[in-house]
Amino acid sequence: MKFLPFLLRNVFRNRRRTVLTVTSIAVSLFLVATLLTVLSELNEPPSTPDSALRLISRHKVSLANILPKAHQAKIRSVPGVKGVCGSMWYGGVYKDPSNFFAQFALTTDDMMEVYGNDVVMSEAEKQAFLKERTACVAGRKLAKRFNWKLGEKIFLKGTVFPFNAELTLRGIYEGPDESSLFFHWEYFNEGMSKEFGGTADFCGFYVIKAESAEAVPIVAEKIDALFRNTTAPTKTESEKSFILGFISMLGNVQLLITSICSGVIFAIVLVAANTIAMSIRERTREIGILKALGFRRSQILFLLLSEAIFITLGGSLIGSWGARLLYSSIDFSAVTAGFFQRFYVTPETLTLCALIGLGVGVVSAGVPAWQASRRPVVDALRRVV
Amino acid sequence: MKIPLRYNLRSLLVRWVGTLMTAIGIGLTVAIFIVMNALVNGLDSTFVQTGRENQLVIIRQGSLAETNSYFDRGLYETVRLLDGIAHDKSGQPLASGEITVIINHPRLTGESANVLIRGVSDMAFAVRPEVKITSGRKFRDGLRELVVSQSLANRFQNMQIGKTIHIGRSDWRVVGLMEAGGTAYDSEIWADYEDVAQEWDRPIYSSILVRANDAKAAESLTKRIKDDQRINLQALDQKTYFKDQMVSSIGIKALGLFIAVVMGIGSCFAAMNMMYSAVMGRMKEVGTLRALGFKRRSILSSFLVESVILALAGGILGCLMALPLHGLSTGTANFISFSEVLFHFRITPTILLKGLAFAAIVGVLGGILPARRAARIKLVEVLRD
Repeated sequence: MKFLPFLLRNVFRNRRRTVLTVTSIAVSLFLVATLLTVLSELNEPPSTPDSALRLISRHKVSLANILPKAHQAKIRSVPGVKGVCGSMWYGGVYKDPSNFFAQFALTTDDMMEVYGNDVVMSEAEKQAFLKERTACVAGRKLAKRFNWKLGEKIFLKGTVFPFNAELTLRGIYEGPDESSLFFHWEYFNEGMSKEFGGTADFCGFYVIKAESAEAVPIVAEKIDALFRNTTAPTKTESEKSFILGFISMLGNVQLLITSICSGVIFAIVLVAANTIAMSIRERTREIGILKALGFRRSQILFLLLSEAIFITLGGSLIGSWGARLLYSSIDFSAVTAGFFQRFYVTPETLTLCALIGLGVGVVSAGVPAWQASRRPVVDALRRVV
Repeated sequence: MKIPLRYNLRSLLVRWVGTLMTAIGIGLTVAIFIVMNALVNGLDSTFVQTGRENQLVIIRQGSLAETNSYFDRGLYETVRLLDGIAHDKSGQPLASGEITVIINHPRLTGESANVLIRGVSDMAFAVRPEVKITSGRKFRDGLRELVVSQSLANRFQNMQIGKTIHIGRSDWRVVGLMEAGGTAYDSEIWADYEDVAQEWDRPIYSSILVRANDAKAAESLTKRIKDDQRINLQALDQKTYFKDQMVSSIGIKALGLFIAVVMGIGSCFAAMNMMYSAVMGRMKEVGTLRALGFKRRSILSSFLVESVILALAGGILGCLMALPLHGLSTGTANFISFSEVLFHFRITPTILLKGLAFAAIVGVLGGILPARRAARIKLVEVLRD
């Protein structure tokens, strides 16, 4: 510790070089923190006590295959099931295709039970939504994006279905996902039945709430067993693995991002090694003097390494914490049309970035510091730089 | 008077370790820039290459893709007899009625993705001469047989010749592999129309692909179909229809741009560091040059050129690092068709030039301040030092 002032003096002796090195490391670690956050957001969808109890049951062949409405009552009778909500991805266009957001037609009977605290509205909004056939509710961020007020008329043009939805906004909900719109499945079904000239009566998938977390895998198995030999067999999984299934469709994002991160880290090792080697080379004579004064090899090695780590760790802390501060002030849901609900730089990411900073310091200063600490005094003093 | 280029080259070579390290650092940045561009380019060109002049994709009015379009089978008879549709040698109109469905299927790596199955008749091959069966044979009707694209077979489980896939209630056998010249059809499975319609219990068509006699005929067909209220269909130019699916690359584009900008900034600082230390180490030389009569402007441009040479060397290294990835195949989600699209990394000369230009910009931005510093030295002070 007593060497700290000495260390700091050395760090700032060439102020410009230090600032430039720290900045380039900070910028790179900012990028690494961002990419790691993309990964962690994709791999760890926001989880709540309610979402941990939810399962999704879809057609075994694919989500594009529909399931009969009759499945709902059958699923409800499975022991361990607390509520079942039929859901249909509507995929309509609001004014222009670029205004994309998620829209679901939901059976309203169990909706509040299934979503619990993940869709929070005032009691008045809830009642207003439930009793009106053409009512809809929207997430807070979605409503903000289009500047919707309660009572707003929302016209959605069907693309997946030959049916246009004319809705009235009756509630604005809060929760972990505030970028979706929900309306009555009954209204959707009426429209589709008219189109088909008969009864449509189908759902895209069922959202199921289990009684307890332990019941989740058992319920999944029981539901799939129930429909195994029917014309509409199901695949039931926890909501989380359902979402992860979606993410895996994007392709090998994991590999892409980890390779980019490795490239970036390798590049900063080079940058840091370069500047640290420069600054040590310039000080060969000084190091010789330190040795002549009686400093031990290990002490010199320690001093040089600490100096390098001070710079690289400093850069990495600025970069990763800068990312955290910046992203916590941006509404990512609006920027990415709901693809990212939030963009939170996790403590794990911050720790990893700090470790990278530490590692880069050790790796890049290792060789020149070791060489410098071992150079004979006479040699060092004589050396012309 | 200009300072000879040899002076810069020699200066860079004298400090070859630092030069090499900085160049590799910039090279990594350029390599990542090229890889991201190659990804976007590969994905986009898959869509751009798909489709032929004067061919129309006819789908349900209001739907955005074949995969969410369906219409009555009877309409096929109406459409194929319209004026302006080309005929084959035997006098049949070149109109292919098709059904598209999606299955969720595991990749070789384990995780699942959606794959598009197209139920077709012989006419589908006639309107798509680019689709060729490369091994095995064509499917026979009524036997639940599949022809899988070579790219899918390389990426998904049980999609090789002789293997069986269980879909719905039946086992489907892979009897042939096809190639479609790098088009979007290289991400599809083809089977007999009747077989698919039966299995999915959907006696409908999703789309009709027709070839018009010429551009004029295509135009009047499009208008004719649009104006006919009874059939409720729309005809889209086949090339435009696929070009619109380029929206799938929007995520990679945004990520790539972000990475390029951030890494570019980081590299600028690294280059700046290197150039400052070059300038500082050569103050005496610069003073001598000034004393010999070289103008400040010459010195400024000389150091700037040196910085650009350094960065371009990095750029060339980056190109060399990225090139081995050319042709690598991968896949991602097609947002429009809701199924996986397979493509290759495509590194074109344009992308390489862009990479070099990117490096040159880094060189200029990183070199400008140090070069100005060199140009501004006070002659007397430096020489006296």
